[in-house]
Amino acid sequence: MPATELSTVRKSILPKGGDTWQSIAARCLSGTPEAEAVSQLQSWNLHVFMRASGAAGSMRGTNPILPSDVIFIEPPRA
Amino acid sequence: MYDLVIRNGRVVDGSGMPAYNADIALSGNRIAKIGRISEKGRKEIDAEGKVVSPGFIDPHTHFDAQLLWDGYAKPALSHGVTTIVPGNCSLSLAPLRAEFRTKLVGMFNQIEEMPLKAFKEGVVWDWETFSEYITRIRKGLAINVAPLVGHSVIRLWVMGEAAMERTATPEEIAEMQGVLRECLDAGAIGLSTSYVDMDEKLQPVPSRYADAAEVEAFASVLGEYGRILQIVPEFYDADLTIARLDQLAEISLKYGIPTTFSPLFVNADNVDAVDRVMRRVDEQFARGARVWPQVQTRPIDISFCFAVPSLLFIRLPGWYRIMRFGTPDQIVAAFKDPATREKLVAESAVYNALWPNLRLRLVQTEANQKYVGMTVGEIAAARGTTPIDVMIDLSIEEHLDAHFLAADMGHNSDERVGALLKHPRVHIGASDGGAHILSFSTYGDTGFLFAHYVRELNAMSIESAVKKITSETAAIWGIPDRGLLQQGYIADIVIFDPQTINRGEEKYVQDVPGDGSRYIRDAMGVDTVIVGGGVAWTAVAGYNAETRGEILPGQVQDTRTLVPA
Repeated sequence: MPATELSTVRKSILPKGGDTWQSIAARCLSGTPEAEAVSQLQSWNLHVFMRASGAAGSMRGTNPILPSDVIFIEPPRA
Repeated sequence: MYDLVIRNGRVVDGSGMPAYNADIALSGNRIAKIGRISEKGRKEIDAEGKVVSPGFIDPHTHFDAQLLWDGYAKPALSHGVTTIVPGNCSLSLAPLRAEFRTKLVGMFNQIEEMPLKAFKEGVVWDWETFSEYITRIRKGLAINVAPLVGHSVIRLWVMGEAAMERTATPEEIAEMQGVLRECLDAGAIGLSTSYVDMDEKLQPVPSRYADAAEVEAFASVLGEYGRILQIVPEFYDADLTIARLDQLAEISLKYGIPTTFSPLFVNADNVDAVDRVMRRVDEQFARGARVWPQVQTRPIDISFCFAVPSLLFIRLPGWYRIMRFGTPDQIVAAFKDPATREKLVAESAVYNALWPNLRLRLVQTEANQKYVGMTVGEIAAARGTTPIDVMIDLSIEEHLDAHFLAADMGHNSDERVGALLKHPRVHIGASDGGAHILSFSTYGDTGFLFAHYVRELNAMSIESAVKKITSETAAIWGIPDRGLLQQGYIADIVIFDPQTINRGEEKYVQDVPGDGSRYIRDAMGVDTVIVGGGVAWTAVAGYNAETRGEILPGQVQDTRTLVPA
């Protein structure tokens, strides 16, 4: 079975180095105003958004996104 | 003359084929002949009325530390488990530089609920490299060990503190690939990683700071050796699990390696989730990928006392913070402080449906013995108070040595779990053997499989059940020459009574270094366990001093053939 014949599942990406909500919004939701796109991403990815960000002064800073995270770029399917 | 002859047994050979009556003769560590054996053995075992099967293989354990003081992995061996896979979930005890020992012990304590004192008093730290660790545990090894190497510890080895802060540079990735090769050459069966676990500071473990390119770089090395990748996905969410298994499938196809993810639970709150995950598993297998979900046989029971942090409270930050970072005196003081207690009681309200159903299972004082075995709700009624206040009050009165049981917390639908266990693309495992020792017993899952799903529910045949935990596991993990009763195979063998095999009652024993305790279950119905042709344990005589456990698949130069999974 080729990959193209896999059933459709909720779309997601794996972050690129240094990705933030804004950079993912610009790349994956380019037709949506940034603030709205960021808000949508955060609501679809509570497993990341609700996580505490890095400790003060850490390299991760205030960005809660880890390089290994799955980031959904659409809402849950019905 | 043969070294050992097992006579009159009902042979369930691990292939899934129908059982048959035969004798089995062993020479050295291998099976010499199966059939009618006229020649005598130096030792003979009468297996009349018993099943003779290959030794069971437990693919998801955390015996890494226990193996340093107990080469039998007690009581797993007595349950018929002849091979264990430690090093799951990105955590192994090697390679490990001295400066990160405290860090790693903290991680084992946080994630696998292994007592700090057991490490302090039970472990002589005389290794750093994976090869040195293997040499260390080889001494007195009675059970076979197929060790994974943990992604998080390889990151710590190469990147130091930066492993917990950032992605790796190309140079660091290349160095980590070299370290993985060294581990595989020394006997590691594969690599484990985690996408969910938190360290001792409640920060993500090092493996979670790796990007997809780093994981692929490791997978390419695993591909050179044909070895397995184990992951812990975000198992609490079906969409996340599916995304993760899609990532695994691409890796499996690209690098030609088997992969496995664990655990996969049946969740009563989301019964559709497992079906969705399994549909995706089926699709990915149809593409030719190998993405084996691991499913445990036992329902989820959790015991706890407030002296040690329990994962049951992980979603109650006020409680968990006190349990995780407080000394016993500080915890008691917090419970006695009216303001703190009020906050804790308020926070606990989200689980108000749970607390009355907890059962008191152990106390120390004579005054409270009358409550043991009662539910917290029943005790609350007797005392004229609330369930949460009962838990707090009893814990104060017992100086935190009041133990409660939350039974049947999930994964307890016989119909749904039974269907999963016999699914051709489900891998039976995820016991967590050797971990969470103060929360539940991780021993006896194989006995429970036979007692509950084979004997009581008829959900699967005994031949299928044996195949699932022997030859299938050996094939998935690439363990050569084991998992089947066939001439020429290594003689890892279990003799058990199919009418009585089971797990015993969970009990609390004090046998952990540092005067530590744990929950275990004794084996029931297991007669004899043979490892590498030698009797390792019998129901009559217990553990044998002669040990024949091996490291599997072994050092690369020692490996004869790898069984393709």
